[in-house]
Amino acid sequence: MSQQSEFIFALSTTVFLAYVVLVGTHSKHSAMPLQKHCRKLCSQASKIFRKFLVHILQQGPIPKHVAFIMDGNRRFARKSHQVTTSGHVAGFHKLANVLEWCNDLGIKHVSVFAFAINNFNRSEEEVSALMHLAKDKLKELADNSELVRYHGARIRIVGNKALLPSEVRQVMDYAEKTTQDNKGMTLNVCFPYSSTDEMTSAIRALIDDAESGKLQESKISEGALESRLQIPGPDLDILVRTSGQIRFSNFMLWQSSKMAYIQFIDVYWPEFSLFHMLSIMISWQCAYLGIEKKKQTVAECARPCMLSASVSDDETCCSEREAA
Amino acid sequence: MSVTLWLLAFVPVAALIRFVGIPDDTLQQTKPFLRQIFDGLCYAILRFLHLAFAVHKSFQSWVQMTLLQNEVDVHDLLLGDRPALVEERAELEMFLLSLPQRPEHFAVVLPDGHTDDIVDDVEALCAWSGMAKIPRLTVYSRDGRLKDFADAIEARLRKSKIISRAYNNNPPSIILDLGTHYAKRHITSPGNHPLHVSLWSREDGFPALVELSRSLAKQVSAGTLSAKSIDETMVASLLKDPFGFAHPELLLLYDDLICIPEFPPWQLQNTEVYQIGQGSVKSLGDAVVRALGSYAKIEKRWGK
Repeated sequence: MSQQSEFIFALSTTVFLAYVVLVGTHSKHSAMPLQKHCRKLCSQASKIFRKFLVHILQQGPIPKHVAFIMDGNRRFARKSHQVTTSGHVAGFHKLANVLEWCNDLGIKHVSVFAFAINNFNRSEEEVSALMHLAKDKLKELADNSELVRYHGARIRIVGNKALLPSEVRQVMDYAEKTTQDNKGMTLNVCFPYSSTDEMTSAIRALIDDAESGKLQESKISEGALESRLQIPGPDLDILVRTSGQIRFSNFMLWQSSKMAYIQFIDVYWPEFSLFHMLSIMISWQCAYLGIEKKKQTVAECARPCMLSASVSDDETCCSEREAA
Repeated sequence: MSVTLWLLAFVPVAALIRFVGIPDDTLQQTKPFLRQIFDGLCYAILRFLHLAFAVHKSFQSWVQMTLLQNEVDVHDLLLGDRPALVEERAELEMFLLSLPQRPEHFAVVLPDGHTDDIVDDVEALCAWSGMAKIPRLTVYSRDGRLKDFADAIEARLRKSKIISRAYNNNPPSIILDLGTHYAKRHITSPGNHPLHVSLWSREDGFPALVELSRSLAKQVSAGTLSAKSIDETMVASLLKDPFGFAHPELLLLYDDLICIPEFPPWQLQNTEVYQIGQGSVKSLGDAVVRALGSYAKIEKRWGK
């Protein structure tokens, strides 16, 4: 045998023996049918491999807040010759996987664009199916999911809930209430949502606070406006949109404009895999220092420039710092 | 030799299984030194992956640059008289005119610290807008440097030969806008083909929203406006385009990082974003042509 094949043989034998030893000492059922045993072996091996990959990534910086525009469910269904609803169901299952990956990676805040306000323009049948799906799956997520039960994830529903049917609103309130004290990952489900609606609500909230005396008019600032957004923070690190479309579609515009790292991926959402997720993470980690440097320059310039209406000669701080 | 290989294979795999594969409640007391060795191994793998990614990205940019041999310099293209240039110009014009869809409002984000050719770049972008028959152009630079060069840009656009050639020697009427707190400048006399150009910076985005909030708060406290009447339609009408066009439909992000450097957020609602690294193209002209080509293929569904 060549040296290379000896090495490969030695490696695979070690892995197999180590696994057999572990499973043999810990398993309650020592005599299992071979097929089940192999399936269990593959599943455990892929779990171990995934944990290993996650551990590698955790040696570098990890984003605090990631957002997903889950686009492509209907086109996926058409491609698979299925009805549209199956595409949305497949999309939900993919969401559950992605949340698991994000939790493993240690990402503390995840925002997902589940339903846009202008999606109400779709056919009544599709909108009704989406409402039913949202109702069932949110309840399932809040009551039975491993993410909530074992990892303490917190669910927040973000958007203009007044536009929703009452039974969907009730389930949403239930999901939020039952998880509000959880300390794990925060999941912001944007349903139904548009960023312009969010910014308008923030402006209205700011004005209401100014009128009621909670906030002085002179204290109206960018920070005050940002804190009244439905997703105020932390700063968005990565925005991912699937299906190959290269636009924001009115999702988290304020947050994305603040130097979020944007990735447009050319796969439909149900086909989004762990490989795509890890590639995005590696790509972000490579760009991390450049982004932080730009953000620091932004933060230094933003304070004096923020409140002034025009840039005077005394306030060319941005240009001077850039030149330095 | 085979024993050494066996040991070399066994140690990391053993460490992997020891620290990753076993549930926490059955773990014995871990030795920090072994954990450090394992973390060090993982860190080395991560750095290798980063290097592989960086090499892959550089190779992709190099391939893009070398495959597209033509550097599309708008000055040579529009002012040159050589037959090859005239033919190239005709082909490019036909390509731009044949695009099934083009944006009504085209925005370009220039990278920070980009000052060397800023006046040339604005002039070139106006010429490209003319060739592609786009009536509205916004050039954005986060740090506001564009506005510092406003006078130089105005002087250049006033007597630009390439812009005149881009409009088939029928110079357009150019209106230059520097943002909400500045008066518009009419650079040339009104003509048949108006070109509306905005030079934006950070202050036209987030600070503009804060100004709007303050103005509305004043009106509410003065009693001339009810807080309940503030809705998205009202805010949209107050933030509409100064020239009455749609918000930017195509945004060319001419930077190596795929990040929006605080471009006005309200205006990004339905914008297609095309990012191109400075290392991936020979000139800004290349970037513009590719962005327009990409825009021509998109499908707008408006939520449906």
